[in-house]
Amino acid sequence: MNDSQPIETATTSIQMPSGAPDAKTRRYDRQLRLWAASGQAALESARILVIPATATTTSILKNLVLPGLGHFTLMDNKVVTGADAGNNFFLDGFKSIGKFRAQEAVNGLMEMNDGVEGVADVRNIQEVLETDKGWLKTFDVVVAHNVDSVILDDLAALLWPDTHLVVVNSAGFLADFSIHYREHQVIESHAETSPSLRIDQAFPALLEYAMSLPLDTMDITDHAHIPYPVILVRALEEWRREREQVSGPSSGRGVPRTTAERKAFKERIRAMMRKFDEENFEEAEAQAFKCWTPTVIPSEVRELFNLHLSSTSSSTTFSSLVSALSQFSQNNPASPQYTSGLLPLTPSLPDMKSSTEEYVKLQKLYRAQSDKEKQVFKEYLSRAQVDVNDATIDQFLKNSHALKVLKGREWKEINPGAKELLAGKLSTHTKETATHLALAAIRKLRAKSVIPSLEHVSSPNDTAMTDILDKDKLKDLLTAEAKSFLPPGVELPEAEWPVASEVIKMITKQYIPISAGNAASSANDQLGICVVDLVETWTGIL
Amino acid sequence: MTDVQTNHDWEGRYYHIDQILDAPGPRTDEGFMAGDGVKDFLRKQSKILVIGAGGLGCEILANLALTGFKDIHVIDMDTIDISNLNRQFLFRPKDVGKSKAIVAAEFIMNRVPGVKVTPYFGKIQDKDDEYYLQFNLVICGLDSVEARRWINATLVNLVDPENPESLKPLIDGGTEGFKGQARVILPTITSCYECSLDMLNKPTAFPICTIANTPRLPEHCIEWASVLEWPRVHGDKKMDTDNPDDITWLYTVAAGRAKEFKIEGVTWSLTQGVVKNIIPAIASTNAIIAASCCNEAFKIATSSAAYLNNYFMLIGIEGIYSYTFEHEKKSNCPVCGGDSVSLSISREMTLEELIDLLTERQDIQIKNPSLSTPTKQLYLRAPPQLEEATRPNMFKKVSELVPDPDGGEVTVTAGTLPFSLSIDLSFT
Repeated sequence: MNDSQPIETATTSIQMPSGAPDAKTRRYDRQLRLWAASGQAALESARILVIPATATTTSILKNLVLPGLGHFTLMDNKVVTGADAGNNFFLDGFKSIGKFRAQEAVNGLMEMNDGVEGVADVRNIQEVLETDKGWLKTFDVVVAHNVDSVILDDLAALLWPDTHLVVVNSAGFLADFSIHYREHQVIESHAETSPSLRIDQAFPALLEYAMSLPLDTMDITDHAHIPYPVILVRALEEWRREREQVSGPSSGRGVPRTTAERKAFKERIRAMMRKFDEENFEEAEAQAFKCWTPTVIPSEVRELFNLHLSSTSSSTTFSSLVSALSQFSQNNPASPQYTSGLLPLTPSLPDMKSSTEEYVKLQKLYRAQSDKEKQVFKEYLSRAQVDVNDATIDQFLKNSHALKVLKGREWKEINPGAKELLAGKLSTHTKETATHLALAAIRKLRAKSVIPSLEHVSSPNDTAMTDILDKDKLKDLLTAEAKSFLPPGVELPEAEWPVASEVIKMITKQYIPISAGNAASSANDQLGICVVDLVETWTGIL
Repeated sequence: MTDVQTNHDWEGRYYHIDQILDAPGPRTDEGFMAGDGVKDFLRKQSKILVIGAGGLGCEILANLALTGFKDIHVIDMDTIDISNLNRQFLFRPKDVGKSKAIVAAEFIMNRVPGVKVTPYFGKIQDKDDEYYLQFNLVICGLDSVEARRWINATLVNLVDPENPESLKPLIDGGTEGFKGQARVILPTITSCYECSLDMLNKPTAFPICTIANTPRLPEHCIEWASVLEWPRVHGDKKMDTDNPDDITWLYTVAAGRAKEFKIEGVTWSLTQGVVKNIIPAIASTNAIIAASCCNEAFKIATSSAAYLNNYFMLIGIEGIYSYTFEHEKKSNCPVCGGDSVSLSISREMTLEELIDLLTERQDIQIKNPSLSTPTKQLYLRAPPQLEEATRPNMFKKVSELVPDPDGGEVTVTAGTLPFSLSIDLSFT
């Protein structure tokens, strides 16, 4: 469980110099610990459009208004019915009946956070699609819930690819949703993997320091405080030198490989102990695998190099950063012995058994090397002639081992999806696919102004899928799986589905939203749709 | 009248919910009484208890009210803090300092007419068995492990095999950042909260010698300020982690120490985070977990569909990953199992070391325990006379304290938990 981040990065820009935070920082404290001031700023400048004012969309909006979204427009031309008033917490009960849904819901939502701008728009979306196309494209995100397929098709085509359309379909206990984008770049992915300490490819100052310690003669207390990376670098270097003496000069990169070699290496560390209870050596032994876990560029990051070299949009900040990273990985003069195959060193160290003095000393070594490598990186970056500020560079370098570039899909590709792809998914993800298909059928019916009922869903004549599957098979499928929708017109008052979190991830460009896979990967078998079933209580990704 | 009407019910009010309740669906339970029977039970007879009116609690209360539960009770001992407002949507800035339970109850009753929410501003431990017996269902939205263990054990103890009404389903939700879980516990039938104690993350604990002598991280400096410096400077005065002045004092002291040791990164926020053990929390995760909890409550109360068996885990950091599984009952669960826990310790181990072990073990985690054998008191925390009388045992070897030199049964109790743990001790 490590999805929080160091608070110094979370609050630096909005924290008061005296220490104690201001009222706004205190109000948002629990989320700033997740997405920091940078994520908060992105959220506060985001504009989103939501269509129409259902129980589901107002719940989604609630979860965006509370954390401080910049602006939302809620579009709905209908008036509140008794059913709406009974089902939507943000309407004012029976008092709202007969008034505009959008206006009543905006009133209820705005009570929660006066830092948010909320506007009710009582126009019909169909009309707006004809008369106000440009305005629709001014939003960062558009959320559409149970909108019929004809309108959706037009809306999706208009918004692609710059405004992210989130399509939510729900019926009773079931729902699916997807986010439409071409590519989504994430620097702060909050991955749980930590960057390499480069034990196997120690930089000169670290190697020199490790080799300079008079292990056998130094003060016994100091000996018990040598941090484990230093012990490992020393042990590995001695192991390599001994091996060279036996088998002649080598690249100097060898590491213990066989089980026997590794066992012997751990014994070597143990033998370096001068007292039986030196915890730092015990820790070194436990961390010995770091000697034979090669420092490499994660494959996902390597794939990005190719993706961005071939892409035409190399003038963006992100592409320039990736390009500089790629050049760095080919030639890093700041690490003379290991010039290629490395990402820039990050200065942060995990905690380890050590005295304060030794720990701070090691931290300084890492920081100094990291600064040198940052200079090399900046040198490469300067060739791109793109102006990037230092904070962005630091953030990028800190996360360079966990960069993510996702690909999404266009609405027409997944409504309901390519025949072959769906056929495959039906055998591997039966429940998810059946739910998705049945929801697509309901959408189709809605476009024909047929109020979906159980009968309609289970008779496939009128659905979007008749050309995908043979009738009998589809009928069986829908009877067995999709009938469990219960009446498809039903909207559970509590259903939010995990939509707001995904919108936040898209807006903040932090954490990883649902996707159709990695942009650099050639695999093309994912639709990028999240399916939720609240009868059996599961979620799945198609 | 066949329909369930109150003065507040308007036409179409339950249009959505009634479609689920009017006719059985393919996944409804056999016992489902479609129509008026189930509506009457839900809206007129059922009584539900919500524990916690915080991030999950606010969501749970709103959902329950809209789905048609009309007699809801809520317990919360906390008052509203400004940092609650980013997710606890029943509260406004003017409510800061007031009781969460009371403000939440008023808000719901105002917004959803005809629903009665009875708040209790206090601790769950204040209430007795009779109180808990009045409910059909209990939903927990808590952030405390201790409180969950307490209510879980209390509900397990309530079960009387002769009386099916005494079995109160417990629905438990929890969140942390983009992660969360919801589960259904049928006391004595399914695995209980105690059965899964070892699934919890181990809390970060810094060794006292690191804090005192070799600080390396900003957290070490903060712990030094709060654990060592505060009592040294302030004596018996209790630290109030909700008081910004106390946090500022700790921050200043910790920052001073960090400077002395050349450690970077002590901030006011980090200080507050460490001393209060702050868990990040957002509305969207709470909403989906609360929705899941209430959905289970609705399904259990109405039999309109099968309920969760029995654990749903959601991880939203990388895409949306979830895992639904049946957590298995533990036969040696101290709360719902019959068997005792076997523990093999060294003959040299002192009673104090055994107590440390019990505190640290993931599947036990009993803080400040008292220990006894069937015939002898080994160490008792209270009353003071007995504590004093048994204190010297702390430094003696357990193998010399227990009557049987080969080990045997040791009973462990803690004031905060309404159950005892039976350990089958042996020596190596």
